[in-house]
Amino acid sequence: MSVCYSMFFKRYICLYVTICSLCVFGTKIGSADDDLLEGADVGYGEYLAGECVACHHSEGVAKGIPSITGWDPEAFASVMRAYRAKEIDHNVMQMIAGRLADDEIASLAVYFETLKEEQ
Amino acid sequence: MNVSRRQFGKVLLAGSSALAMPSLAFGAAPKVVVVGGGAGGATAARYIAKDSKGAVDVTLIEASKQYYTCFFSNLYLGGFRSYSSIGHTYEGLSSNHGVNVVHEWASSVDSAAKKVNFSSGASVSYDKLVLSPGIDLKYETVNGYSAESQTRMPHAWKSGTQIQVIRDQVLNMPKGGTFVMVAPPNPYRCPPGPYERISMVAHLLKENNPSAKIIILDTKAKFSKQGLFMDGWNRHYAGMIEWIDPDTHGGILNVNHDTMEIETDLDTFKADAACVIPGQKAGAIAMAAGVNDGDWCPIDPSSMASRADSDIYVLGDASVASSMPKSGFSANSQAKVAANHIRGALTGSKVYKPRFANTCWSLIATNDGVKVGANYEAGSEKIDVVDKFISQNGEATDMRQATYEESIGWYEGITTDMFS
Repeated sequence: MSVCYSMFFKRYICLYVTICSLCVFGTKIGSADDDLLEGADVGYGEYLAGECVACHHSEGVAKGIPSITGWDPEAFASVMRAYRAKEIDHNVMQMIAGRLADDEIASLAVYFETLKEEQ
Repeated sequence: MNVSRRQFGKVLLAGSSALAMPSLAFGAAPKVVVVGGGAGGATAARYIAKDSKGAVDVTLIEASKQYYTCFFSNLYLGGFRSYSSIGHTYEGLSSNHGVNVVHEWASSVDSAAKKVNFSSGASVSYDKLVLSPGIDLKYETVNGYSAESQTRMPHAWKSGTQIQVIRDQVLNMPKGGTFVMVAPPNPYRCPPGPYERISMVAHLLKENNPSAKIIILDTKAKFSKQGLFMDGWNRHYAGMIEWIDPDTHGGILNVNHDTMEIETDLDTFKADAACVIPGQKAGAIAMAAGVNDGDWCPIDPSSMASRADSDIYVLGDASVASSMPKSGFSANSQAKVAANHIRGALTGSKVYKPRFANTCWSLIATNDGVKVGANYEAGSEKIDVVDKFISQNGEATDMRQATYEESIGWYEGITTDMFS
């Protein structure tokens, strides 16, 4: 049980460090000059999110799979672009992000931000 | 310019649909009836009701008040979950989204009158019908097997209590006894499922009865995640499991639930506990609706609408979804495509490009999880693979543990997506 918690902790620390570096230092992996949220459409994001909430809990529960509700949208878009560029390891996420265009990632980012009040 | 052209087309579409739909013509909310409350049906009902916000009247017909998921029933078998943890009710769908949940058995469809008839004699009318009935077993594919055989040689391939029978039988096997599985022919629900089940039986026996043996009499020459399972069985259950392919056993000639014998060309196997999984076909209501072509129901990959009737959508195991496996994840994914299309047809809401995905996790032993998955798009004739992945032999133990933990998170996520 303690092994399990420490592994969880390690993974979340990794994710946290990634997000912090993206937010605080303004790193935009694979997209140096882009507006990360260009073309965002919250309605399209809601449709696309159907693919995400098959695994990620729609009410923000993080149990084995991280919560993706209520993120800063630019951080969300940066991380998704990094998965798409295979700069973050995870076979499922690389596959899911692999077919998302910039505007689709942006749409998801603004949609999941709207879920923060429901947590 | 493009946008306004699309919107103009949508108005035309909505107008022509209204003429064909009785409830629209009278100004009432259009009616969607969903038959089957599993991963396809519950998700479709939830998404249509949630996203239409009262503009569509949604009725879900499901005989059971308490639904037990097929997925994760193997984890109950292995002792990793309680039985109650895989049970769900439909209260969330009715109280949160206004879905009218009817616990009846849908026995037939009158597609000309657009009505679903119940075995009780009542009926309900629809503008769009969603069929997500799962599978029925073709007992006749295993000589000697019948409904009567299920008590002693359960298939446990539909949600319900048969998985409890298998667990009890495994735990009560004599020391050094034999468990025999007859694995089903393609295509069938949950391709890795029989082999995850074997893993869970082995896990139970290793703890309680380590000299026991497991024999798989397969009807296929190869199976899903075969390399991963074989490697895992060697590492965790060395010498316990014997997989026998059809070239070797020569065919399943007969099963006898009284003597617990399974006869093949090679030998007659005497089981102390057994699981016999026959061939499968679409659930009965799909056949009654006449949307099947043989055992399964062809669909339009852009919408999941039946090839036989554009007002009937077929989801999940019952459909011919080409390379998408028959899984709860697939059904959930297909349901969202269908829900978006149905709302567009009934209310003029925006219809987006269909996107499908699937991942199947399997547990081989404690903290040793593996997965296979793909995403898909609608081709002109069928659902086509875009990209795919599979776990690899030799992965680090912490990755396998993370994969197992991920599957727990997925279960929470998908059941929330179906029932909340």
